[in-house]
Formats: sequence, structure tokens, C-alpha cells
Amino acid sequence: MPRFLALLPLLLCAMATPVQADDVTDLAARIDRLIASRMSTETVIAAPSADDAEFLRRAYLDLGGRIPPSTRVRKFLADKNPRKRREVVDQLLDSSLYVVQFSNVWRKALLPETAADPQARVLVPGFEGWLRQKLAEDTSYAAMVREIVTVPLTPTGTPQQQLQLRNRPSPLAFYQAKQIKPENLAASTARTFLGIRIECAQCHDHPFDSWKQGEFWSFAAFFAGMQRQGQGGFLAAISEVAERRELKIPGTDTSVGPVYLDGSKPPPGETRGARQLLADWMITASNPYFSRAAVNRLWAHQFGIGLVDPPDDFTADNPPSHPEVLDLLATEFAGHGFDVRFILRVLCATDAYRRTSRLTDPSQGDPRLFSRMAVKGLSPEQIFDSLAQATGYIATAADRQLAIPGRPNSPRNEFLELFRDESSRPTQQRTTILQALALMNGSFIAEATSLDRSRTLAAVADFPALGTADRIEALYLASLGRRPRPGEQTRLVAYVDGGGASKDSRQALADVFWALLNSSEFLLNH
Amino acid sequence: MTPFPRMTRRQWLALSAAGALAAPASGWFGQVASAAAATRRRSCILLWMSGGPTQTDTFDMKPDHANGGPFRPLLTTVPGLQFSQHLPRLAMQAEHLAILRSMSTQEGDHQRATFKMRTGYLPQGPIHYPTLGSMLSKELSDGASPLPSFISVAPYRFLSPAAFGPGFLGPEYAPLIVGDGTPVPVPAGGLADYSQGLRVQNLQQSEGINRVRADARLGLLDRLESDFGAQRPDVPALSHRSVYRQAVRMMRSESVSAFNLDDEPESLRDDYGRNRFGQGCLLARRLVERGVPFVEVSLNGVDGQVQLGWDTHQNNFDTVKSLSSTLDSGWATLLGDLHLRGLLESTLVIWMGEFGRTPTINSNQGRDHFPKAWTTVLAGGGIRGGQAVGRTSADGNEVADRPISTGDLLATACGALGVDAQRQNMSNVGRPIRLVDPEASVIEGVLG
Repeated sequence: MPRFLALLPLLLCAMATPVQADDVTDLAARIDRLIASRMSTETVIAAPSADDAEFLRRAYLDLGGRIPPSTRVRKFLADKNPRKRREVVDQLLDSSLYVVQFSNVWRKALLPETAADPQARVLVPGFEGWLRQKLAEDTSYAAMVREIVTVPLTPTGTPQQQLQLRNRPSPLAFYQAKQIKPENLAASTARTFLGIRIECAQCHDHPFDSWKQGEFWSFAAFFAGMQRQGQGGFLAAISEVAERRELKIPGTDTSVGPVYLDGSKPPPGETRGARQLLADWMITASNPYFSRAAVNRLWAHQFGIGLVDPPDDFTADNPPSHPEVLDLLATEFAGHGFDVRFILRVLCATDAYRRTSRLTDPSQGDPRLFSRMAVKGLSPEQIFDSLAQATGYIATAADRQLAIPGRPNSPRNEFLELFRDESSRPTQQRTTILQALALMNGSFIAEATSLDRSRTLAAVADFPALGTADRIEALYLASLGRRPRPGEQTRLVAYVDGGGASKDSRQALADVFWALLNSSEFLLNH
Repeated sequence: MTPFPRMTRRQWLALSAAGALAAPASGWFGQVASAAAATRRRSCILLWMSGGPTQTDTFDMKPDHANGGPFRPLLTTVPGLQFSQHLPRLAMQAEHLAILRSMSTQEGDHQRATFKMRTGYLPQGPIHYPTLGSMLSKELSDGASPLPSFISVAPYRFLSPAAFGPGFLGPEYAPLIVGDGTPVPVPAGGLADYSQGLRVQNLQQSEGINRVRADARLGLLDRLESDFGAQRPDVPALSHRSVYRQAVRMMRSESVSAFNLDDEPESLRDDYGRNRFGQGCLLARRLVERGVPFVEVSLNGVDGQVQLGWDTHQNNFDTVKSLSSTLDSGWATLLGDLHLRGLLESTLVIWMGEFGRTPTINSNQGRDHFPKAWTTVLAGGGIRGGQAVGRTSADGNEVADRPISTGDLLATACGALGVDAQRQNMSNVGRPIRLVDPEASVIEGVLG
């Protein structure tokens, strides 16, 4: 009862008025003060603000999943409006680019299995379709999670029928990816939505309590009714015995009933489904772990490093770098109706997010102090979509379809396969030799840097009445999203006018474009 | 003044792994390096048998028991040691092989067992354990070869993909994969071109780009990189630059000719077997010869099929007979070839799958999963060959002597390679993890 009283005014407030501009600025300023005070304690000097080009590219990659088109860069650089950074963030968050990018982001967080296991990838289209629907409808995070946790499970037929239905938007994949096992579901529900690793036997000093086998299985008992129907791998049909609440601990004769992670139990005589009860307990403003886990994930997405890092490991021996920032964001997230875009607006408005990634002072060594922006690797989708943006590649129908495991079948799918990296965090991402070879010598880049076949390059090379400097600037804007610096300009004009290695200035322009597309400045988010 | 006075231990590790701190590192570890240089650097070849190979029809024959099946034992060059009749060429190489007949493990599910045998650990929560090749190549590499340190031929990864990756060690230690698991196309009326299937993609410069122009492009790129990297000493940027250098070095090195199997005499290629596994074994020799520390070759099926070939629930004997023929030519020729070139003493060869198969024959003339008592083989460098270690009961159902765990096997392999099995790597959860479970021990009498 108290939790509903606490929630009510907040929800009303969020529904009645659109987000106040001041909320964003105020909250960003409070966060910056906390970050600054920690830096001053540690005698760290913050890096200066990124210039407009650096900021625009970063915001596009983080929120829109690709680099900005060069026309947008030109417009942004020319814009004199002091609120333009705020405005471009708002535009991105209202665009379909955001919907696509964040359905990727949430899919990777909620279905990590699909990155690691090619067989699980049959689950992607249905789940992403559902996420896109929810994001396009501006569903709150809490409502989205509730829908996942409480999705009705009715037997849906044979694996063949499932296969036909797999593209239908549905959050069911969350269960299928966990192979419908109560223990997997318990572990990922706790980890994904609450940031708590209950499966880890090492978690002796846990904020809720010390974890024992019985407690783990009691939490898993919320999923006791789940049943897998026959064979069919990830597409096996699911049913649920709604009244089943007991689970036998494997290897013992003990059966346990459902107990929440704070030790409380659903009231006796409660007739609603176990998963309903679980969702009620989990998704409230008074459950601090739910909001904290979500905002920490958003922070990690924007900054490359979580306030708690790794982002889903909220254990006592892994404290947050800035506990006050985490609490503040969590409270405001709940207070704003679990609105993800509100939090993203705030993060993008902080000085911390707007700093350059250049190391400008020796004191900026510790990335967890956020004194400069971290350099992040791109996701496979970001790499391909940015290449497509830069080179004017037009996606084909095959590019929009799912790859068949082990048999890449479109340029986009080949890139997604080649750049897949389930192991490391964005700030620790490393290039592989096969990636380097594909970017240097592969057919996609060969076409993109061919005067006959590349749209961007051909347009730049053939447009009449452009000087060499203009052509080089156009290639820089298309790929790096910035103008060349004076030194670069001079050097490259000389290279191109001299005809480069092939004694042909159009070919020399192709060489410049090749180098830009292979550069870490292009291939990383910074 | 040092450039990064506030670097944490984890950052330092990350940066030094990316090559940023090469100079101080070589200063600190110089002594160790020169001590190691006194002995020849070792390599490891893992022959991975997807699906779990039967011990009863290969290296632990039970001719006097109903479980033995129709295969007859064959005398080898080592008195008292018998193999299956379908491994005649290996029988001639028996002096190099230590047959570990008392493997005793717990996992009977492909996915978990594959993970356990290939990483030494069970899949556990959030920790991304690295595969054997990533761990050992990291220890064995001296950075001198222009080729990658870990090359994997035709892995079948789909059932347990995490067991084939570098895990928390990161993509830097990922295998370079060739013959990526898709079936080799066979032209009508022709022979499958297995050498084409084992090439590295995108090794040649794009059409129309000659060396002079490629150099000019790399020159332009290098300038961009030094401008960007000078102010951003972060792992992704450092790794980009070092991997590009490595890739160019590899493209232009003499060593990359390792992948041109056509350079070998036709007769030797025939001896290895004109199939993906056989040609993969030949490639392994060519790579080890050029200083690659870890190569794995998977035998997933006969005639280039890609599946869990050894998973013989039905029709065990026909399948194992043809798999044995592929295995026998590839492996025996590899051992002979390495020996001839003086490479066998410094090359450890491991033969294993995820588990063995039931001694009892099921109603489909098949054998099922069996982790309780089965066989793996160590051969070559550092191994006292010509012996069987451990023993199973007369019916093959129990280990009768010296049970060997996964950890014991891996610790012994480390011993043969001169690698400290208790070395630690920092994991993705910030906890150091040893190469091999500390409770494991080196199998007695196996190291030579």
C-alpha cells in the first residue's frame, strides 16, 4: 500500500505535463556538480568541452546508431542557436533512428544469448519487432518490463508453426532464449532488471542478503509453472501451469515456494499468477534496484563505462564510482514515469557527456572519474550503418533480413558477423586481423572507394566547380563529420593535386577516402 | 614524468596487452624472456573431435567382451599396446603417443562438455572463460611471427560457441579462423578444392591497387592515426593501430605462404588425405613451422561434412570406420612429417573430443554419450610416448586405475609446453582466473 501512495503523485505529474525543459538542465547541473566535486577531491582537471562536430557525431552514434549525414553536419556547424545541442538530441530522440538503435541496445541487454549463439538468432526479428513497436509508442520502461515478465503463455503449436510466427512482434523470446528453465529465468531476471547476480556463488556479501541455494531456488519458483513442450531448440513451444508455485531443488528432496529477493513472500491466498506478483514487487518506485539497474545501463551506454561497472554487477564489493549520481538518477527516473528518453536528454545535457575525448591533462587517467569522454568501439550495426551513411550505400532487401547462421548473405550481414564481439566492453573493444583485412581489402570498401561505383566518392570527384580543398572537405564531412584541420587540408590538397601514387588526382581522392574509412577516428565513437 | 600517473592496475593491464607499454614491459620481463629463449619455443596442435569419439573402437579395445564390437585390435610398434584395425598408420607411430585411457569427467551434454574440455571450466554465470587456444597462444607467443598466434581450422562452433572464443582475454586472442565450417563445394565431376577452402579472406590488395598505391594509402592512414591516437591513448584506438600493422605485416610476409598448400608435393598432400581434416593437418604443420604457437584442426565429419561427426548414436561402426580412415591419414602423416622436420620434439599434439561413448552398444548399432571412462591422447613434444596410462574395467564401464580429470589433462598439456598452469589472467568480472583449476595435478609418468 505505501508504495502506491508514493508512486501516485509522481505518475500524475509525469502524465499531466510534458517534461519540463528545466528538469533536464537542473538535473544535468546537479550531476555535474557531483562529478566535479569528486574530480576536485582527486585533483583531476577536466578536459574542455568537445567542439560542435565532435559532439554531433557522438550524439548521432549513441542515440541514432550511425554517423550524421554531411548535410546535417554543415547545418549544425553553421547554426548559431546556443540551444542547438539540446535541440539535436531532442530531434534524434523523436526520430526513427532512435527506435532502431535502442531496439538494438535493449535487445542486446535483454537477449545476450543472440550475440553469442547463432541458433538463438531466430529469435531476433520477433523480439526486435516488439521492441520497435514499444519504443515507437513511447512505452515507459516499467511498462515494457512488465509486459515481458507477465506475457501470457499459451501453447502456440509445433516448432514449424513457431517458426512461421517467429517474426510476429512478441517479448516471448525472453523466455525462449533462457530455454524456459526456471533457474535461467530467475538468474537473468535478477541480473537484467535488478542488476543482481544471484547465480554467482561468490556473492557472499550481498546487499539484500547472503545468497544460499534455497533462496536462489525460491526466487526461481516464480517461474515454476513454465513448461517446455517437446523439442525444437529455441523455438520449442511454451506452456504454463499457472497454479504451480513449488520447485524442487535439483539433487535434493526439498521443494520451495516463491520468495522475493528481500525475503518477503506473496501474501497467502493470493490467486493472481506468480509472474504477475513478481512484476508487482519488482516494478515499483520503492524498489531501488529496478531504477538503479536501468539508469546505470543508460549511463554505461552513453559513457562506455557504468557508474557501477560491469553494469549488471551490483555487488557490495563492486561499489558505484558516484553513488549519489546513481541514486539521484534512479529517483528522477522513477519520478518521471520511468521515461528512458528523459534520462538520455539529461545525460546528453551534462558537461561530462559534452567533454572532448582528447587527453588534455596527465590527471585524466582514470576513466571512472569521467574527466574526459572515453573512446568506445562501435557495435557491428553502428559500423555498417555508418559505412553505408558515409559511402552512400543503399541497403538491399537482403540487408534487412536475418543472416542464416554460418552463411552470411548480404553485405550488412557479413559485417555484422565479422564485427560481432560478445566478449568485451566498448572501452576495451579491440580490432581483429580479419576485420582489418576486410576493411583494407574487402569488396565493400573497394566499391566505396571506386570512382565508378561509389556514390559519395563519384559525387565529390565529379561535381564541377569544386576546388580540391572543397572536395577533401566534402570527404571529411561525409566520413569523420568534421572539416579538415588546416595542416591536413594543406597536406592532402598537395597529395591530390600531385596525383598521388597513380598520378591521377581523381584516383588520389579515392586514396584519401580509403584512408578516412579505415581510420580509427571513423571506426570508433569518441 | 609518467604520462598516466593515475592508471589503475586494470587499465595498466589493458594497455600493456594492447602493446602501449611495450618498452617498460620488455625491460621488466627481459630476464624471463632470455631464460625461455634457451629452449626452443613450443607449439601445440589440438585435433578436436566434434561429437565425442568412441574409445572402444579406437584406443581402448575390448576384443574379449561383448561391448567390444566388430573391430579387431591391431598390434602397434610398441609391445603390448593395441589400437583399432582402422588406425594402421597411427599404429606405426605409437612410440610418440601417450594413450590416456582413464579420462573421468562429469558432463554428458555436448554443450557443457565441450565448454568444459575446451576451457577447463564449466560455464558459470557472467565469467567468459577463454578457450584453450587463446590461453595457450597467449602464453606461448613471443610476437616474432608475422602470423596470428592462434589459428583454427574448420571449427564447428554452433552448439557451444563460447567454447571456441577468447572470452575475457578479448578479441586480440581470438583465433584466426580458416575453413569457417561451411561445407566445401564440390564441382560436378571434380574434386573438392580443400586448399581454396583453407585460405584467409581478403589477404590480397583490392583489384587495381598496386604496392606503390597501397603504400601511399597506408601512409595517409598512418598520418590520420598518429594525429588521432596521440591524444587518445585508449585501448580501442591503440588496438586498431597495432592490428592494422599486424595485418599488413602478415599480408606482406613470406610466412603467409603457409596457406598455399599447392606448394606441397602432390604425394604428400595425398598422404595427409584429400579432405578438410587432412589438408588442415598439413596446414597446421606449415603454420607451426613458421612459428605459430597454437593451431587447432577439427574433424567434424567425413567428406567435408560439418557436424558433430563423432556423435554416433546410430550406425557407429560404419561411421567410425570412415572417420578413422580420415583421422589415421591426417594425424599419422602429421606426426611423421613433424618428426622428419625436427619439429615433433617442440610440438605437442592433443587429441580429444568432449566425451567418450558408451561401451555398451545400443539397439541402433550406436554408442551414446559417456563421460565416465574414456580416452584422450597426448603426443609429441614433452610427452613420454609409447604407453597407455590408466585402465578401464573389462567391460569398459568403469575406470579401474588412475582416473584423470579435465584439469589433470590440461595441467599435463601445460607441463609439456613449459607453461605455468597456475598463471592468472584478469577476467571480465575483475577476478583473476588461473589457466587451469588449481586442484588439478599433472598426470604422473606422462611428461618426458
